[in-house]
Amino acid sequence: MGNFNRPDILVSGVGVTASIGQGKNAYWSALMSGHSAFHFLQRPGRQKESRFIGSEISAISASDAISSKLFRKASLSGQVSLVTLHEAWVDAKLDLADPSRIGLIIGGSNVQQREMAQIFETYHERAEFVPPSYGLSFMDSDLCGLCTEQFGIQGLAYTVGGASASGQLAVIQATQAVLSGQVDICIALGAMMDLSYLELQALRALGAMGTDRYADHPELACRPFDQNRDGFIYGESCAALVIERAATVKCRQVKPYAAVTGCALKMDANRNPNPSLAGEVHIIQNVLQQAGLSATEVDYLNPHGSGSPIGDETELRAIRDCGLSHVKLNTTKSITGHGLTAAGAVEIVTTLLQMRESRLHPSKNLENPLDPGLNWVGDQSIPFGITNALSLSFGFGGMNTAICLQNI
Amino acid sequence: MNKEKIVEVLIHNIREVLPEMDEYSFQSEDTLSDLGADSVDRAEIINLMLEELSLRIPRVELAGVSNLGELVEVLHGKLQSA
Repeated sequence: MGNFNRPDILVSGVGVTASIGQGKNAYWSALMSGHSAFHFLQRPGRQKESRFIGSEISAISASDAISSKLFRKASLSGQVSLVTLHEAWVDAKLDLADPSRIGLIIGGSNVQQREMAQIFETYHERAEFVPPSYGLSFMDSDLCGLCTEQFGIQGLAYTVGGASASGQLAVIQATQAVLSGQVDICIALGAMMDLSYLELQALRALGAMGTDRYADHPELACRPFDQNRDGFIYGESCAALVIERAATVKCRQVKPYAAVTGCALKMDANRNPNPSLAGEVHIIQNVLQQAGLSATEVDYLNPHGSGSPIGDETELRAIRDCGLSHVKLNTTKSITGHGLTAAGAVEIVTTLLQMRESRLHPSKNLENPLDPGLNWVGDQSIPFGITNALSLSFGFGGMNTAICLQNI
Repeated sequence: MNKEKIVEVLIHNIREVLPEMDEYSFQSEDTLSDLGADSVDRAEIINLMLEELSLRIPRVELAGVSNLGELVEVLHGKLQSA
């Protein structure tokens, strides 16, 4: 994936919605103070003879600019997409851009499982009365329909699926859409993955999701890179980023967040959830090569760090093997939980906000780091100026992605 | 179920799908399209009616209906023959 003319591809706007806050300001405050929102999941459709620790978005506030009819008829993932995209849209002043040259790429597949499970529970014995609108909403591309109608986007819109790398994959695809000239501006959105008790149970049975070892203290359950981690902890979230060339950013007098200087994608040719050191090393080396950087020039890395026993260990080995043992690291998922399809986009937005504010958020529950020799941010935020940052995402089915961002 | 009750259920369901009709005084000549219902809204309203009346009939049997009054008549007829 070449053709970067550094630093020409910029991020001009962001939006974020998570359990810890809606909108970048609320999100940032919670992130800096390390205020997580873990509890036993409460949303209907997430309990059945079992309970799971995670974090959920509280009531969403929708701007008057969002059609109340569209919002009302949207699924939860759809509603969260609308408010998150609206924030990024306003941030990048996209009302001033030509909507026929704007695209939208949504990261995530099968993101509305909880609502599907509820439909099944209610209608499986009287299928003739299933709501007709389910014929629209069961498809992930309904999120494209909702968002393009609301914002008048006419360039392109489609979804891309890459499990827990979906959000980052959307950013990679949006970057490619701008580089190739398909559109002038492309929005990448990591969709909120809405899990039902079935997916939660299966992910736990698979050994990927954490246990209820911390049932008495849910706030301690999510502990990426800690010796006592035992799997990821789910957290609802969504983020949107606006990608475009410097020339169009300048037209609208928007202050960009950073330049995207490299995007890497590599498959392990492996259907299973297990990671691959070779795949991870490959994407890190590849993205550095695209950015024209040596490892020593990177000063911050936002790891995938899901809390998976083998995943975290492999990722730290890849970081060391690539000569990145000096970089500052923190664990976004320790505060937000794992948003699965949203995570990659949420973590890029987190990296951009930290870059802009010259401050790194704390890592929660990192009491006994797997590799204490690395440069971890501890349980308090710290001032730190970022010049070059890497963000990594890995997905089931052997997907590895990396993005390189440069402060401008 | 008598026609008055069907009208009551219909108004309730229209308002469920179109909350902006909360204060509106419905007339039998009104059409769902005139009230602002798009094709999905219309399908939802019809579906809610059939569900609440427990009417298991093909949707095509309602194809010729042009306004609310006719809809109530047809639904009442189907209930009688069910």
